[in-house]
Formats: sequence, C-alpha cells, structure tokens
Amino acid sequence: MTVAPAAGAHSSAPAPATPVIDRRRARKRAAWRRRGTVLLFMSPWLAGFTIFFGYPLVMSAYLSFTHYDLLNPPRWVGLANYRYLLGTDAQVWPAIRNTLWLIAFMVPLQVMFAFGVAVMLTRAKRGVGFFRTVFYLPALIPPVAATLGFVYLLNPATGPINTLLGKIGITGPLWFNDPTWAKPSLVLLSLWGIGNTMIIFLAAVLDVPQHLYESAELDGAGAMQRLRWVTLPIISPVILFALVLAVIQGLQYFTQAYVAATVAGGSASQAGSQSNLEIGYPEGSTLFYPVLLYYQGFRFFNMGYASAMAMLLLVVAFAATLLILRNSKRWVHYQGAAR
Amino acid sequence: MSVADAGIETAPIVRRRLPPAVRRRRMLVAIADHSLIIATAIIFLLPVVFIFLTSLMTNQQALSPKLWPDPFQWGNYREVFTSAPLWRWALNSFIYSSLATIGLLVSSVPVAYALARLRWRGREAAFLVVLVALMLPPQVTVVPLYVMWAKLHLVGTLWPLILPNWLGDAFAIFLLRQFFLTIPEEYLDAARVDGCGEFRILTTVVLRLAKPAIAAVALFSVLYTWNDFFLPLLYVGENPDNWVTSIGLAQFRGLHQVQWNLTMAATLLVMLPVIVLFFVAQKAFVEGITLTGVKG
Amino acid sequence: MKRVATIVVVVAALTLLVAAVGGFTRGTARAGTSAGAQADASTVTIWVGWSARELGEFKKVVAEYDAKNPDVQVKVVGGINDDKIIAALRSGNGPDVVSSFTSSNVGLYCSSGGWVDLAPYLKQDKVDINQFPASTRYYTQYKGTRCALPLLADVYGFYYNKALFKKAGLNGPPKTLQQLTTYAKKLTVRNADGSFKVVGYDPEFGFYQNTSGAVQPLAAAKWFDANGKSSLSKDPAWSRLLTWQKNLVDYYGHDKLVRWQAGAGDEFSASHAFETGKLAMMMDGEWRVSFIAADHPDLQYATAPMPVDGTQPSLYGGGYINGTIIGIPKDGKNREAAWALVKYLTTNDHALAKFSNGIRNVPSTRTSSVSKELKPDPNFAIFSKIFLDPHSATTPITSAGAAYLDTFQSFLAQWQSGKAKNLHLGLVKVDKQIDAKLKQTGGGVP
Repeated sequence: MTVAPAAGAHSSAPAPATPVIDRRRARKRAAWRRRGTVLLFMSPWLAGFTIFFGYPLVMSAYLSFTHYDLLNPPRWVGLANYRYLLGTDAQVWPAIRNTLWLIAFMVPLQVMFAFGVAVMLTRAKRGVGFFRTVFYLPALIPPVAATLGFVYLLNPATGPINTLLGKIGITGPLWFNDPTWAKPSLVLLSLWGIGNTMIIFLAAVLDVPQHLYESAELDGAGAMQRLRWVTLPIISPVILFALVLAVIQGLQYFTQAYVAATVAGGSASQAGSQSNLEIGYPEGSTLFYPVLLYYQGFRFFNMGYASAMAMLLLVVAFAATLLILRNSKRWVHYQGAAR
Repeated sequence: MSVADAGIETAPIVRRRLPPAVRRRRMLVAIADHSLIIATAIIFLLPVVFIFLTSLMTNQQALSPKLWPDPFQWGNYREVFTSAPLWRWALNSFIYSSLATIGLLVSSVPVAYALARLRWRGREAAFLVVLVALMLPPQVTVVPLYVMWAKLHLVGTLWPLILPNWLGDAFAIFLLRQFFLTIPEEYLDAARVDGCGEFRILTTVVLRLAKPAIAAVALFSVLYTWNDFFLPLLYVGENPDNWVTSIGLAQFRGLHQVQWNLTMAATLLVMLPVIVLFFVAQKAFVEGITLTGVKG
Repeated sequence: MKRVATIVVVVAALTLLVAAVGGFTRGTARAGTSAGAQADASTVTIWVGWSARELGEFKKVVAEYDAKNPDVQVKVVGGINDDKIIAALRSGNGPDVVSSFTSSNVGLYCSSGGWVDLAPYLKQDKVDINQFPASTRYYTQYKGTRCALPLLADVYGFYYNKALFKKAGLNGPPKTLQQLTTYAKKLTVRNADGSFKVVGYDPEFGFYQNTSGAVQPLAAAKWFDANGKSSLSKDPAWSRLLTWQKNLVDYYGHDKLVRWQAGAGDEFSASHAFETGKLAMMMDGEWRVSFIAADHPDLQYATAPMPVDGTQPSLYGGGYINGTIIGIPKDGKNREAAWALVKYLTTNDHALAKFSNGIRNVPSTRTSSVSKELKPDPNFAIFSKIFLDPHSATTPITSAGAAYLDTFQSFLAQWQSGKAKNLHLGLVKVDKQIDAKLKQTGGGVP
C-alpha cells in the first residue's frame, strides 16, 4: 500500500532540513494507520479465534486430565483418562475402527460416485439441466430429514425398498437393523447426498481444455483412455479437494449415525428409558468416534474423559490432513500455465 | 474460406428427412446412451417419491408393506401442524439462520479482505491458521465451550449457536478471500489514489463487485444453519421451546406417540424451504460451489 | 438518499428481529424455568416426563392442588427426560420441582447436590419415611442422602392374550420360564412365506420393555457382590437367565425376529404389537392397562406376575420395580412452595389415588395402594400385589447413573445375535468393563 501522496508532495516547501524527517514521520504514521486498519479488519476473526478456537483447545487439554461432570468442580486425575481411553475402554477401539471404516470405504465411494455422476452429466445431450437438478437437490435436504426418510424406506419388514425387492423375489437385508448392513446403509444415504461434490466435479470437468481431448483423440486414445490420461490429471486438484473435505466430514460424522441408530433401535420413541440404551445400534456397528464422544460427554457426564477423546481426535484429524496433503504432491498435477 | 465466400453458386442445401428406421434407431441409441443417467435419476428420485407417498397414508398403511396410499390422506399435513409445533421450530430455525448469516457476513468480509488485498507481515501465516480451523472437528472444542456457555447461563437459548458467527467463520473467510483475490488491483488502486481509506474501499468498491460471492456465502450459511443438528442438539436440546426444525424432526416420533406417516409428512415439510430456496437462487448456488472447488 | 433509506430499513428490521429473539429466548428460558417466577413468588414450575394423555391426568391432579392453595400457581412442563434434567442442572436454569421416569440417575443427583437433600424437610414436617415400601426408599436415595421421593411406581408384570390362549388350548398363565417357552412355541403362528403372523413371546433385549434390569428379579440374579464388584459372571442365575433367553431367540431365529420387530408398531402407539394381537404374551409395566383401555378396549387379555426361573419357583409373585422420582433442584427459586407441592404429590392419599386412576401407575405409599378411591380393575390389581411382594427388586444405583447397564446391553446385543458364543467368558469381560467404568467415573454401588 503506497503512502498517501499528499505527505510527499508538499515537502518541496521552504525549510530544507525537515522534509526528510517529515517524510519519515509521515511514512511511520501511515504504517501505523495501515497496521491499525489491518487490526480493525482482522479483529472479528482474532476475537473469534481466541474465544472459540484457542481457549477451548487449551481448556480441552486441561480438562482431559481431570474428572469433570460439571456439577462438581474438576478433579485432577493425571493420565487416568488417557490410560482408560487407550487401554481399558471397550467401546473406544470399535468406535475408532468404525470411523476408519468410513474413511476407507465411504470417502472413496463418495468421491468416485460424485465423479462418475458428473461425467455422466457431461455426456448427456438432452435435459442436462433437469438431471443436474435431480442429482443436486438431495444434497440440500437436512440430514435429519434424509436419515429419517431412509430409515423408513429401508425398514426390513414394511419399507418400500424391501417390498419392491420382495416382488422380484429377493429377501431384502435388515438394513439399519443388521450390524453388517448398517454402515453400508449409511453409505447409501451419503451417496444420495453427493450433490455438492458432484457439481464441483462437473465444473472442473467442463473446464478441461477441449484441445487436449482433440490431440489425445488424434493419438488414437479411446473414451476411457482420454478419461484416464487427460481428464483425471487435469482435475486432480479438485479430486484432492474433494478427498480432504470428505475425510474431514468422515472424522466428524455424527448426525446421520445418531439419528439412524436411535430411530432404528426404537429408543427414539421412549422418553428416556435408560436401561434400554444401546448406543451404536445395532451391536455397536454405528458407534463412530464422534458419537461415542457425545455420549461420554453429554449423556454419561464424563466430560474430562470426553476431552481426552477430543484431544485424540484432534491429533488424528491433523495427521490425516497432513498425510493426504503430503501424499498429494505425487499425483496432483497443477496446471502452472493455466493458473 | 468456405465455398460460399468464393462466390461460386451452389444448390440450396435441403435437409433430407431420414427414413423412419434410421430415426428410430437413432432414438433408441439416444435412450440407450441416456439409459444410465435416466436410471440413476430414477434411483435418486425414488426416496422422495416414497416419502411423499407414505406421508399420505394412514398409520396402518404406513406400517404395512403397501406402497400406494389408499385413500389419500391429505389431512395428514394439517395434522402434522396440530400434533407438533412445526411453526415454532421453523421460527427458531429462521431466527438462528438469519441472525447467524448476517453476523457471519458482517464479520467475515473485512477479515477476508484483509487476508486478500491488504499487504501485511504474517498474512499468509494467518490464512494458514484459518485453514487449520476449517479442518477442526467441532467435537474437539465442544466440551469447554459448553461449560463456558453454561456458566453464562445461555444454554437452552439460541445464543450459543448465533454468537460465534459474529466473530468470523473460517469457511466464509476462505471463500470470500478466494473471491477477493480475483478483484483486479487496478480498481482498488484507483480508489486509493482518490484518497479512499481501506474501509471506504471495502464498502463501496469491493462489496459492489462481490455481490455474487456474498450471495453464495449467505446461501451456504443459511443452508448450513438450517440443517445443523449437532450443535443445536447440545445447546437447545433441553429446551423444547427453542427447538429448531432438525431437532424437532428427530424427536418427532417420540412426541405424542406420533406415527410414521406423519413423520414422513413432517420430513417433507422440513425439506421444502431449502428446495424452494434453491429454485429461487439457483445461480448463486452454482456460483458458490464453483468458488469452493475450482479455485481451491 | 436511497442508501440512507435502505440502511434505516435494515437497522429497523434487525432491531425488531433482535428484540423478538431477545423476547423469545428470555421468555422461553423463563417459561420453562423458575427464573420468571422471581417476579411472582407464588409460581412453582414443575417438570415431568409425562406427555399427551398422561400429562393431562397429571395436570388434573395439579389443578386440584391449585384450587386448594390459592396463593400458589403451579406451572407444568411435560415431556422431560433425564438428559434435559441433567442439562438443566448444568446450566443452572432449572425448575422448582423436577421428576424423572427412571431412578438410575439418583446417584448422580444426590451425590452432586444437584437435587437438594430432603432430610431436613422430612423432619420439619414429620413425614414418616416408612410409608414408602422398601424398594422405593432404595431408589430415591444414594449413600444415605435422600434427595428424592417416589411419585407413583412402575411395576413390571406379564400380559397375555386370553383369546389366543383359548385358541391354543392353554388355560392359565405360565409360572416358570420353561413353561413360558413351551407356551410361546404353541402360540406362534407363521405365514405362508415364513414370516410371523403371531409371535408367542419375543425375548429379545431392546424390544419394547425387555431390559436386563427387568429380567433380573425373575431369577434373583445379583448385579454386584458384597465388595461392590460386578458379579454377572459369578452368579449362576445370570447364566441360567441368558441361556433360557438365547434358546427362545434361536427357536425363532434372531434375524427373523429383528425383521418382525421392525414392523411391530411403535411401543406407545395404537399399533402396539400386543394390543393388535400380533404378540401373544409380553412383559410390560402396569401403565399398559390404561393404554389398552384407551386404544383397544375390546382386547381380551389378562395380567399376572412374570414367570420365574424354574429352579427358584418361590420367586413367583415378584417383579421389577422402578418408578418416577421427584425432587427439588438446587437452582430452584421457591424451595418452600416446591417442598409443599412435593409433599402433597407424594404423600396425599387422595392425590396419589386420583393420579394412579388416571395413568394407571401403582400408588407409591402403603396407604394409598390400598385406598378405597382406587378404581377396581382386576388387571391392574395384580401390579399392586407385585409392588408389595418381597421378591420384587430394582436396579442398583451408582453415582454414574446407568452407564453400566449400557455396557451390559452391548454384550447382550452380541449374545442374542449369536456373535458372542461363550457366555461365561463374555460375562467375565463385561464384569471387568463395568468395574473399570465405575472406577473411571469415580462412583460405586452403595
């Protein structure tokens, strides 16, 4: 940012010694004004970051070494929470496995399916606008509503899907009520809502320069090969972006799992029959790490322990993102010239 | 250079009507080409169709394997409103969405501008910190924040949901910064030469240019807050008067021993505002999505 | 000029919005809490778990109290569950009186001081604590601190469909678990495609009111030993119970049962499986009597105590007891008025009888349970008897609430699906986990 011209313009006036000092002072003043402006503009985020990011992180770390149920003051327990977390708690490792399953299966499926649908849209010649709307709209639907809808649709006894399957002679699985099918059912639900990622891929694929395809065609490349050697490398930054986003969402996955488990397990319809409580219904298959954290912190009054869980989640989230970003240098191709 | 340019006279070109066999074959090929997309579209539409059909059944039918309502119970939609305070939930969601979005825009625009167009030491580092905040799962900070709000006696109200948005939102800052980076420096320099302070530049020049980006960010915010479940569950879950639609819907089946047919009707009603918003603001939606991805 | 106008409009709209919100959040925060009662010292806010019809009955009882005490106005908020109570305790925004459906968190409420100690009030008003039967006294206190009183009790018993019994040629209710299995097999009817038309008895944990706590009294199985350690693997009664349960599950096929359960109708709706004749026998609480009377008055059914472990036939007549508890949160504003209401609701025979008639829960004092005001109903009378039976039991209270039940329930889910094959080893593991969990949350069984 340049110094306001006014200060410099008048320095050709009579007193010869002061102009240099004046200019320096003026520049200093301008610099302070600049810093002031930056500070002013950044102030909302600075305050927000401190209050809603910095402070909770520090507090979370502190609480993770205490036993705290909010009704009594925190009681220091040292590493007891971490020892329980990494050693004794029988629910933590299944929860971690479930979340890792999401990262390993749901994330790639989401990205591939979004890409596939986007490519399909580019090939369509008629009614593209209509199809695009159809594929995008479910992504806007509130997750609770979508989950409720799917739990009803996939009801093993009376749901429309199993009824339809029955008509063609297939006995449908138990979907959300079967531990082996519960997670795939959640994956189906998430695939229904990939509209956002799909649109991003669509824009990216449409952006690929046409001449690259033409030269590939001249070299004898078929449609599949053009996809593999032209489209994919060009849009690889977008693939990376979608992957990172999906992984972050997978590490926070809560709403759909919580709603599906409570509704399918029937405990949503009883005003607090606690001895019926079975988290991660069925058989713990939908117990993901964030869901367990919620139960520990806000149902079992174990806030110190929940903070320990939160610290572990933070480390994993950090590590995962770093891993992907570092790994990406190998296969992501940034178009230097095009940027 | 075409034949016509050369001035040579040619016979007028007439489109020949293709024989019916060829036309039929071409149409079949077109359908086959589109069969995959048609099938996928049907699969995507199926859930909504079934939800709609179920919302019109009696409770007995909803619990049976019947697929088609008979008779059509349009009265279900009226009953939904009497059996649960849908309007109150919608109002709460609206208050949360609107206040949060306004606050988000007001606080994120200056930050994004500072990160994009003001030059200062530590700018890139600050942006990196913003990105890190984006990655953070909310569960990490939720326990101490809950304690803080509880000590302020604000748990049970919508304020713990609204207030953080008034101090900047990482995603909005990210999007707006990406957009501001595309504003040509010349516009800003011209304004500076005219003696405008940065604040005036922001409000007069930049805001006017950034309308589509701001609309997109506002849309995202409205969408996110309308669909939000985890944070409202934590902060407002204990106070049914302040429930937002997502919580109300999740608890719907438990209240008043309500049945699946009404639950599906409520589900559709909750979906409706967002769908309407989409059709009204389609362009802003697509613009917003591309802002995130392509320039990412 | 236009810009100024827009700014004015926007600011005005914002101010209106914020005012509305302020009014809303403050107003509603007040509505549900006693904060608003500060201005009007004679308002008492009470939170209860009932909703719909049952809430209406409660309000009738409260209306009588209002009429008798013109200087006090009681405001009732229904649909409360334990999560909300705990959240309110944390945030300090609570009512004057609160009641909960389950007693499992009384350990937390009493030990943390979240609900006030009632001993001084009981002494001051000379309330005889022995008018409450022993089990109800147990689940309203923790380690000697009494912070709650029972408000009507829930008793679990056995419901059976008389019409289906007659069709299958059965006379009276089964008295042992083995008999129950035989009857269940006789009463089960399958459709042509293999799905169930009528299920004799569904023993799956998690279905309707089948909980581990509810089946424990049927074999007098011990939850904890004398040292306060979990004894699921040490007491053979548990193995007998769970083996019986698994055998019956296997007769039906776990997957088939799950499928049937998915279409079985919501537990508190009119399409309840027992009420619609799809389930011939079931274990349920005494409240079902009034639900049936309201939704399916033509159902031919009868009640009895639950069948018990065949090797301990003397246990017959008892059942699982739990109940609504009522207490005064420490953040409530009108302690004296709150206590007056609590005392009335829990000890006044007329109030208890009236409420019991309304929602068909068992009156929680000795005198009220034999009150002449109680509407005679042979199906309901069984539950009063079970209530006073010495073999009836309730779930142990820990300072961590029901977290240990959740651990057990996770194992039971694996057990009944067939994934956990070795019962004894599984129970040993559960014992270890429960002990570790109780140690971690810093509270044990009194």
